[in-house]
Amino acid sequence: MATVTLSNVVKRFGAFEVVHGANIDIKDGEFVVFVGPSGCGKSTLLRMIAGLEDISGGEIAIGGKLVNDVEPADRGIAMVFQSYALYPHMSVEQNLSFGLRMTGNPKADTDRRVKRAAEILRISELMDRRPKKLSGGQRQRVAIGRAIVREPQVFLFDEPLSNLDAELRVQMRVEISRLHKELGATMIYVTHDQTEAMTLADRIVVLRAGHIEQIGRPLDLYDDPDNLFVAGFVGSPKMNFIKAQIVGRDAHGVVVELAGQEKTRITQPLAGAAPEAGSKVIVGVRPEHFGSAGEGDTDLVVAIDVVEHLGGTSFLYARTAHGEDVVIQRDAAKVPTTSEVTVSIRKSYLFDEKGLRLR
Amino acid sequence: MRNRNATAYRFLAPYLLIFSVFWVWPIISSFMISFQATRTVPWRFAPGFNWGRLIGDPAFFNALKNTLLILVIQVPVMIALAMVMAVLLNSPLLKARGLYRFAFFAPVVVGEVAYSAVFRLMFSLDFGIVNKLLNSIGLPKIDWFSNVTPAMALIMIAVTWRWAGYNAIILLAGMQSIPEDVYEAATLDRVSKLKQFFHITLPLLKPVIVFCLVLSIIGTMQLFTEPFLITERGGPGGGTETLGLLLYRQGFRSLNFGYASAVAYTMAALAIAITLVQLWLTREKQ
Repeated sequence: MATVTLSNVVKRFGAFEVVHGANIDIKDGEFVVFVGPSGCGKSTLLRMIAGLEDISGGEIAIGGKLVNDVEPADRGIAMVFQSYALYPHMSVEQNLSFGLRMTGNPKADTDRRVKRAAEILRISELMDRRPKKLSGGQRQRVAIGRAIVREPQVFLFDEPLSNLDAELRVQMRVEISRLHKELGATMIYVTHDQTEAMTLADRIVVLRAGHIEQIGRPLDLYDDPDNLFVAGFVGSPKMNFIKAQIVGRDAHGVVVELAGQEKTRITQPLAGAAPEAGSKVIVGVRPEHFGSAGEGDTDLVVAIDVVEHLGGTSFLYARTAHGEDVVIQRDAAKVPTTSEVTVSIRKSYLFDEKGLRLR
Repeated sequence: MRNRNATAYRFLAPYLLIFSVFWVWPIISSFMISFQATRTVPWRFAPGFNWGRLIGDPAFFNALKNTLLILVIQVPVMIALAMVMAVLLNSPLLKARGLYRFAFFAPVVVGEVAYSAVFRLMFSLDFGIVNKLLNSIGLPKIDWFSNVTPAMALIMIAVTWRWAGYNAIILLAGMQSIPEDVYEAATLDRVSKLKQFFHITLPLLKPVIVFCLVLSIIGTMQLFTEPFLITERGGPGGGTETLGLLLYRQGFRSLNFGYASAVAYTMAALAIAITLVQLWLTREKQ
């Protein structure tokens, strides 16, 4: 187990900079997830920690030791690849033991490690099979097993569940969580799936276009996003954004009027300086923060387009009078049968025109 | 469905007709001719005439020995060389990759007569650049065309020059189909580049290597151009005569079609037998 520290880490491909000075402190035994849309630099960051990509600037330390110029094999890390990267011509047992055999590790120790990994991942009965005879989930277990036998200080996972079907993904997510508890190792996990990030992580690093947007515990990101991007990325269905403008300030905070709806005003507590009256802002409302009429500051009439029934919960896909799409979460028993419904905003977030949170 | 099949066969008919007349019939015909004494007029059926002669013919065994010698020495050397070339071509450090690929592949498209003429010049006793180079490093000149061992070596060098690049390109295509992350996983497993080559690249390339070997075996069994043009009809004194050349000499110089057909069938049978053994030895073990 070890800490991982990234200080001003930069990555350039030619003149093109893809990671712009990343600073991350990962604690010993922590499970950190890098999440962001495709091309945000999360995999590049992981590969730089692994040593599979050179670092263009900054420093990376593992276990307090600077590893910028240390070979990947000497960094004390193990990596699980998206494509599994199993050796197709070797059996499961050979896949697990290959690295140890090639480096002259004593046979008894190799056997012990392979047996332990197989038991942890419940693949003992698959040891003689080749990868092509395994299902996707079994291959993923073997790939994780290959990382376990190395007994690394840090586990790196590069979108390990992307190639699995939805049901297996949920199952493997639980397995990885269990594995983290069992091994207690530092784990860094890359995904574009915010659900994976929310369910697995001790802390999440949200990335966009090579910049770190926010680092925090899953519920902190959900409840207290720093900006519009994080607010929209974390949570499913995503947060609704409604255009608005500042109309003044009262004792409770800043008063905001939703665009195109003169009488729809909400008061937002604000500790910092409020933008001038007339400034354009964005109000963010999570689907579950729409209440029934009268429950919040103001009521809002929306036209329902589609209702999605998920059992206990339903989602109303609707439009405001100003034409903005919103998703509203309702208990299945409280789904309206009319084409219009009046809702209130129980809780909201305020963002300035640049997308930064106004607190 | 039957109608649709009939229409398809009608479209195929012109090709099938030409294929039957110029491919299938000669194969059957030459097999029948191999059982006939063709140096008498009219030809007569004599099963033991050609096949019997084959068993005791020193010229046949000389050609067989030469062909197998080339097969055993040249083919493995060429495939090994092609592998080295493919590894170099696959290196991320290599600049002007496209130029090298073209250069390695170019010998295949050079005309056989032109390349043979250039080889004769290069290896000429008095004017050849090869002997000049040997001299310049203090080694004696070699008479490549008058002694059997150098002549055989020359044939092997020429064939290797012509086909190594071709095989390298095929091996390179195979190498590039091996996913990069398999190597990255091995790198993280502390496996050295050399061990990665022997334990990952070679086993995963096995089907491609077998393909190259089979093509090369078939090619060598038919070897004709180089001993015909470079060492002047299998010279010196039949020292580089191959089965292909023997077939040509018997069939088209002595007009002994029966015996030439028997040689042709022997060549085909040997190529099939060697290839089958090869495939059996390199089969995927479950």
